[in-house]
This record gives sequence, C-alpha cells and structure tokens, in this order.
Amino acid sequence: MFDIKQILALQANRYPMLFLDRVISCVPGESSKCIKNFTYNEWYFPSHYEDDPNAPGFVLIESLVQSFLVTFLSIEGNHGMRTNFLDVKNASFRRKIVPGDVMEIDSELMSFKRGVAKGKSVGRVAGELACSAEFVVCIPDVMELYRPK
Amino acid sequence: MTNSEKYAQCFLEMFEVVSDDLKALEYQSIQAWDSVGHMNLMGVIEEEFEIEMDIDDITDFSSFIKGKEILARYGVIIEA
Repeated sequence: MFDIKQILALQANRYPMLFLDRVISCVPGESSKCIKNFTYNEWYFPSHYEDDPNAPGFVLIESLVQSFLVTFLSIEGNHGMRTNFLDVKNASFRRKIVPGDVMEIDSELMSFKRGVAKGKSVGRVAGELACSAEFVVCIPDVMELYRPK
Repeated sequence: MTNSEKYAQCFLEMFEVVSDDLKALEYQSIQAWDSVGHMNLMGVIEEEFEIEMDIDDITDFSSFIKGKEILARYGVIIEA
C-alpha cells in the first residue's frame, strides 16, 4: 500500500491536479488498485454544479489515468517521471459521482515499451461501475532516447 | 507474403500512405511519422518480423530505405 507521501514521490501531479488518495495494491509493470475520495471540499464541486454537485468528466478521466500511471511509474527507474497523454479510447461514464463517494480504481498495464505505456482503468463506487477508459501514455524523457537523430 | 510485402504493409497501415510514396519516406517527412508514430512503427515491425531492435538501430531507423539495411542485421532480408 502507498500513502499520500509515497504517491507524491511516485508521480508528479500536485494539488489541484492530484486525484489519488491511496494505492491499495500495486504490482509494478502489471497492475494497481487505487482509491479516490470525493468530498465537497474539492475545488470543482461548488461550480459543477451549484445545485447539483457532481464530478466533471475530466476529473474522472484524470483519476483513472493517474491510477494507470502507478502501474509503470512504480517500475524501478521510472519514479517521479513526467508523463503525457498520447491517446484515450473508449471512455465510458456510467454513474454520477457526488460528494461522499469513494471510487476504487483497477488499472492494468497491457504493455510498456520504450517509454510508451498502454492499458486501461475501471472505476467503481460501492462495487458499481462508474467509469472506464483505455490509455496510451508516454514518458517523454524515455521516448526521446529512441527518436531518430 | 514476402518480407518486402510485409515490410511495405507496416508503413502503409501505420501511415496511410500509398505504395508510390514508400521509397521517399523519411522520419518527419509526413505528419504521421513523428516521434509517436516512430514508436508505433518500431513496435509493428518488431511484431511482424518477431525481432527486438537495439536502441541504436531504432534511432538509426530514419527512412524506409534505411530500415531495410537495419532489418538485415537481424537476419530479415527485404528483397529488392
């Protein structure tokens, strides 16, 4: 299990763009299971929306991808490296996320080669499917090493 | 399918170019062959020919023509 200090050491996202609270389990290079807690103190709830606070889609996507990052940033040598999106596919939203919800995210790394990671994440609230997406994410500093000179 | 046909097919599918364009194809000569396109192309070629290229060969793989020379180092002969 990784607490918030270990999460901060593992990846580069910081407030207000850090959307993980805990890593429950992690098999470096394979999978991770993470927790994202949603409280009304989150900066986006008062404005999205005042009369019906719920988490914006981009926050859910970012939560899913940050859990996915754990699967390969946990590999020796990758800790703390910056990452960039290359592709998001099949993003699906099935449940409104409201203050008080706890989302459990399961991420799987399908491949990681030359700084390019491919995989998917599934978010659930109380066991109910909330959202999911497939990702291609790169570590630019690693990918740069393989670019034709 | 010959090695030559398989090799051409990798580029045709990856970059959506036509056969006549292949000989002149170089890294960054078209929008699709950027750094991300390069990583994807290397992955497709490695899978097609069941090889794993060294970092020096991947950075040296700068054109369609040059790629044939590099694949020969792995015993993959692309017929003329």
